Amino acid sequence: MTGIDPFSGFGLGLRRDHYQDFVTGAVPVDFVEIISENYMVDGGRPLATLDRVRSKLPVIMHGVSMSIGSAGGLDTEYLTRLKQLAERLEPLWISDHLCWTRTSAHNSHDLLPLPYTAEALELVCDNIDHAQNFLGRAMLFENPSSYLTFPEDEMAEWEFLSEMARRTGCYLLLDVNNIYVSAQNHGFSADDYLAGIPAGRVRQIHLAGHTPGQEPDNILIDTHDREVCDEVWQLYAKACALLGPVATMIERDDAIPPLPELLAELDHAREIALEAQPMVAA
Amino acid sequence: MSTLAACQADFMAQVLEDGRPLPNGWTPRHAAGLAIYRNAYRARLVDALRDTYERTARWVGEDAFCAAAAHHIIQTPPNSWTLDHVAEGFVEVLEQLFANDPEVAELAWLEWAMHRAFVAADVVPLDAARFAAASADFEEEDWGSLKLKFLPSVHLRDMGNDVAELWSALDSDDFTAQNYVLPEPTPMLAWREGLRPTFMSLTKSEGQALGLMLDGVCYGAMVECLANAIGEEEAVMQAGAMLGRWLGNGLIAGLN
Repeated sequence: MTGIDPFSGFGLGLRRDHYQDFVTGAVPVDFVEIISENYMVDGGRPLATLDRVRSKLPVIMHGVSMSIGSAGGLDTEYLTRLKQLAERLEPLWISDHLCWTRTSAHNSHDLLPLPYTAEALELVCDNIDHAQNFLGRAMLFENPSSYLTFPEDEMAEWEFLSEMARRTGCYLLLDVNNIYVSAQNHGFSADDYLAGIPAGRVRQIHLAGHTPGQEPDNILIDTHDREVCDEVWQLYAKACALLGPVATMIERDDAIPPLPELLAELDHAREIALEAQPMVAA
Repeated sequence: MSTLAACQADFMAQVLEDGRPLPNGWTPRHAAGLAIYRNAYRARLVDALRDTYERTARWVGEDAFCAAAAHHIIQTPPNSWTLDHVAEGFVEVLEQLFANDPEVAELAWLEWAMHRAFVAADVVPLDAARFAAASADFEEEDWGSLKLKFLPSVHLRDMGNDVAELWSALDSDDFTAQNYVLPEPTPMLAWREGLRPTFMSLTKSEGQALGLMLDGVCYGAMVECLANAIGEEEAVMQAGAMLGRWLGNGLIAGLN
């Protein structure tokens, strides 16, 4: 499997609210990330718009429905559609989440958590091998945010991700907000998480906002509906110092503001990354 | 079944069903986490339905729409990778739930047809010049056996209500409920012009003719059917005019 070369730029998710900005203007980003499934359609305006954006900017395909952790294996029709889109777009890379979304009977359309067991690791690795062979390329998988852990867990999430990347040759999409959310929800150290990730396998970083927890459980929820909070920016600075230049993007899926607000947030990410990088050189 | 498969089957059942006993070893903290997944599942599906059936939601009101959406989700939990499929079958659910208000399902049908047209495959329609070239050497029997291939975005149905008027009214912030019942059922055509989904009402005879051709009936049989109602000479003239309109509106993809 051919590796994925590093690409260090700053980008945004391509959302319908900003189509016109991207089609008619010169938006100061290095790439856009799409939700793959939104464009896995037969035709029409979504694909036509995406083609126009693609003619200007590199595209990353980020999926939510591969269900790489499904015990029943992967959906061939889904993979076929995904591959067709990849052939059309020639993306920088294709990513999805370390999670499962479906059983043979139902699809939750939500990123459901996996138990971190040796059995799940083996299954996930088999599924990743299948997906990467089918698509003919290495993929990135994103650490999820989660709201519960399983009594059966045998390893930490970062240990699972490390071993998964080692066995399959896949790369990692590090969602810094998800690390923060899960660390708060499950009581582990976000610093330990960062230290435990194989830095050389990380090709992209996501930054997003979350909804604060409410009494009595105080569970943070990964809602992508607001700006990145200070604690996540601090964690991002640590990640930059640890990883060096990595493609970074702001991920907003709800309560989407005008584009200038997201670009200002992205500028803040640039500043933090720039400040953090001398620490790598030192 | 593997341990993981059993775990996922149980977890999915927990997400789909309220009040299911928690798995062994789960605590109230697990229940709180599970509740977030359960709420997210329902909210996402209702949002997907509202996104597709935005005008229907406005017409029936938020509470009634959410109740209908919940009914649909419980009755038909999604099993496809695409959220688009969640909207399938919702028109039929609305037909049952709003049996005394048929404009609800009719409006929903139009929204679903427009949504499907929006993402239908890109096909360059046959224009009049290409059709003329393709049919230049037609003998009479060729016309009789002619079948048409339509764009995948073309959808047709009879409406008992003036859904076109209702659609426009719902674009306004201050629409008022009124009676939209038509004197007689009227065919409604939805399709995509270029990248823009659109719709129009047809006459009864044109709707009947188009319906026959969409069902794969040949041109000659369609003309015969028209002739039964309006006579042969008039039927030939009207069928020709209809064919010209279908070409002009970009409904026809090719000849079969």
